[in-house]
Amino acid sequence: MSQHHDESQLQSQTDTTAVDDITTGTYKSDLPGFLGTIDTAISRVESVLLAAGVLLLAANTIANVVGRFVFQQSIFFSEELNRILIILITFAGISYAARHGRHIRMSALYDALPSALRKPLMIVIALITAVFMLGLAWYSAQYIMTLYGRGRVLPSLQIPVWIIYLWAPVGFFMTGLQYILTAIKNMLEKDIYLSTNVLEGYDDEEIEI
Amino acid sequence: ETWRYAFEEAMTDVQGVYAQKFKEEVEANTDHEIQLFPFGTLGESADIMEQAQAGILQFVDQSPGFTGALIPEAQVFFVPYLLPQDHETLVDFFRTSVAINEMFPELYAQQGLELLKMFPEGEVCMTTQEPVHSPADLNEVKVRVMTNPLLVESYRAFGATPTPLPWGEVYGALQTGIIQGQENPTFWIESTKMYEVSPVITCIGHNNFTTATMANKDFFDGLSEEDQQAIQNAADAAFDHIVEYQKGLHEESLEKIREAGGEDVQINILSEEERQPFMEAATDVEEEFIGMTGESGQQILDQMKEDLAQAQGG
Amino acid sequence: MAITIFSIMIVLLLLGFPMMIPLIIGAFVGFYSLFGGMGQLETMVQQMMAGIRPASLIAVPMFIFAADIMTRGQSAGRLINLVMSFVGHMRGGLAVSTAAACTMFGAVSGSTQATVVAIGSPLRPRMLKAGYNDSFILALIVNASDIAFLIPPSIGMIIYGVISNTSIAELFIAGVGPGILILILFSIYSWIYAVRNRVPTEEKASWGERLSAMQKALWPLGFPVIIIGGIYGGVFSPTEAAAACVLYAIFLEMVVFRELDMKGLYDTAKSTGLITAVVFILVAAGAAFSWVISFAQIPQQILAGIGIDQMGQIGVLVVISIAFFIGCMFVDPIVVILVLVPIFAPVVNAVGLDPVLVGTIITLQVAIGSATPPFGCDIFTAIAVFKRPYMDVVRGTPPFILILLCVSAALIFFPQIALFLRDLAFR
Ligand code: NA
Ligand code: NA
Repeated sequence: MSQHHDESQLQSQTDTTAVDDITTGTYKSDLPGFLGTIDTAISRVESVLLAAGVLLLAANTIANVVGRFVFQQSIFFSEELNRILIILITFAGISYAARHGRHIRMSALYDALPSALRKPLMIVIALITAVFMLGLAWYSAQYIMTLYGRGRVLPSLQIPVWIIYLWAPVGFFMTGLQYILTAIKNMLEKDIYLSTNVLEGYDDEEIEI
Repeated sequence: ETWRYAFEEAMTDVQGVYAQKFKEEVEANTDHEIQLFPFGTLGESADIMEQAQAGILQFVDQSPGFTGALIPEAQVFFVPYLLPQDHETLVDFFRTSVAINEMFPELYAQQGLELLKMFPEGEVCMTTQEPVHSPADLNEVKVRVMTNPLLVESYRAFGATPTPLPWGEVYGALQTGIIQGQENPTFWIESTKMYEVSPVITCIGHNNFTTATMANKDFFDGLSEEDQQAIQNAADAAFDHIVEYQKGLHEESLEKIREAGGEDVQINILSEEERQPFMEAATDVEEEFIGMTGESGQQILDQMKEDLAQAQGG
Repeated sequence: MAITIFSIMIVLLLLGFPMMIPLIIGAFVGFYSLFGGMGQLETMVQQMMAGIRPASLIAVPMFIFAADIMTRGQSAGRLINLVMSFVGHMRGGLAVSTAAACTMFGAVSGSTQATVVAIGSPLRPRMLKAGYNDSFILALIVNASDIAFLIPPSIGMIIYGVISNTSIAELFIAGVGPGILILILFSIYSWIYAVRNRVPTEEKASWGERLSAMQKALWPLGFPVIIIGGIYGGVFSPTEAAAACVLYAIFLEMVVFRELDMKGLYDTAKSTGLITAVVFILVAAGAAFSWVISFAQIPQQILAGIGIDQMGQIGVLVVISIAFFIGCMFVDPIVVILVLVPIFAPVVNAVGLDPVLVGTIITLQVAIGSATPPFGCDIFTAIAVFKRPYMDVVRGTPPFILILLCVSAALIFFPQIALFLRDLAFR
């Protein structure tokens, strides 16, 4: 568990762009047995999607500039491709972020509370967050069905719009699941967890507020 | 009851003027109220359309060019030279066209929409850095167009390099030279000061930006007959109002541009003869359109041409 | 309804919920009460998707990616050394170069937090050794990183530009003037501080050393050239400039400096993707929330309530400044921009304010607020990065905040500070 302490130093902050090494380690699920294998595999898939999404985003945008300058030709589906990639990154990323306890939160007041209060509060936070994530998973699936029925297409690529949203319900669902697991973990274990395998981040001796 | 009506432009633009007249008429003749939501307040064009389909909005104004993502045939309004170039004939065309008044309402109804009115917003002209008199003058000129396949095909056929760009960046991109031109109705060129950064305005008569107002069909069908009639009347009255409003708007906008832009501005209305090569390029776009819409698109296109001949003949 | 929603959101925020949740719940409560149930929640999803649709948003992950590659590699360090070799020996020189380094790094990074980490980490030990008080150092780093928000690129400006439909290229250049003004004022304060506290000066670098520092920084200096030159020279849109920065950063750190390998690039991309997702889910939730605000016509109610339409342009700017400043003292800047910009948009239009000026002022306020106690998020970044207690980080901030507030006032009364360069480039 000790590596988790190190990992979590920066995490309960509101930093959005701090340089971090959290994502460089290989994620290993804390779940028991087969569930753990699945969880680890999903995490692996998410991280590949994140990295590939960002690299493709860069490649696509650069290709469009090169096309315009060198070949006098803009790539017309470039913008739509970027849109697809952004949705992919966002929804693969929210559950990845939940798994690693990286969602932005304002923890100043929370951190000032005694741990006897923090623990139940964390359970409540995780459960409420899970409820809304699962709710959004449901309604985004509904939304996709509605779009499917209407048949709207992307103007340049001429592919149905509902396809590009498929990641949304999956991402919301996986995120909701992560928060449920976080709540359970906090109920079972003595320590307080930000996510299934990230311990809460402050070292009380160094930070006095 | 309060009804909600969203459109794609600001309150002072053509769609806003139409909406305000419509609101005034409905409120005078029924005991309902209308709340107007101009551009951006409830989302982009595609968003407000979906909201109208979901019944959150009772009325929406969406240009057929955008509706093309939902009803492919609506893209016919991007095929160049399908609409009359002269104002009186144009108005006549919108009043009498079988395609507009009979065929499109059916297509819209399939998407849960009651088409109330299609109306022209104004002649589309292009603004560039150098004078344009023939397709050759557009060689290697990067013209910003909306990301619509037919518009892209049109400008390609006109000889230019169509370039997609978010609208917010167009002014800056013209200034810095990422692109050299763009196209829009003249009132829009005037109000957004596009002439400051692309002072040569060329009208080739290829299009008149068309837009359409519609109601959610379930909502409309659920209304009393009097209310339905009042809404239809309001749409007609707003159409008359907009036609009157537009009479001379194009010339007035050009005049304002000439005044504000001074020496730099050059306005070229191409002659029939100069327009000829551009008109010939339109066949490529027709093919693209039929490729996208098949049989049904062919029917609409043929009908539009017939309506055009009718309006010009009459 | 508005008051209920805002209260719920603030309570949830303060309790430490992930920030997306207050926004999502705010939107949910809005949809629920507007439509009497859950019947229209699909539209909430639609607006979340619409929030992350704008093409210009691509600039956010691209700039984060470029900055992340550079801080993992050598570019950032080389830029700092360059500044040091020129001003390090002057009175307060180390402090001035810290501020200047923030400005330069601000030009390549997208946000204040990245700057705190990249500049603060290497420079704080040197300043401590030179005899500066830690409270001064921490306050300087936290506040000078504000300049990063104003010098292009700026994530705050990109998001403001996207939701207010304002040209990002114009916003970027409008931030340069105020950014440099702040740098000058901070330098003057640093000089006064150094004189009063008799901080010893550093050894002067020789011209040979300067030349060598310059040579080493030549490559990284390509970034501002790409961003400023590229955008205003008509080569790129801001989004494309961001992508070009990524390409250039990869080229520098992988080919020229050989500091980054394929594995490093992959990890950096993954980390960028994570940060992007975390920001964009806020943008998505914010869009759904602002839809509720527009639909319920809440801006009209609030603004009429405070009588804003009788205030004139300056009055409106003052109200906006205060609202954003206070907002950012409590909440993440992006959330504040997402929630408040749509509320003020109608009145900005109505009184005919230049949206670029408004954007610059908002960006400045966002930056100040996020470095201001009690809850400015830069403070917490500094606490985490430097492992210092809250009071130590906060103690030295008042003079800096005072300077920044003076700049805000100056900007309101002399908009040319921001608009001069914009007009030069675009009018
Ligand atoms: Na910056
Ligand atoms: Na800051």
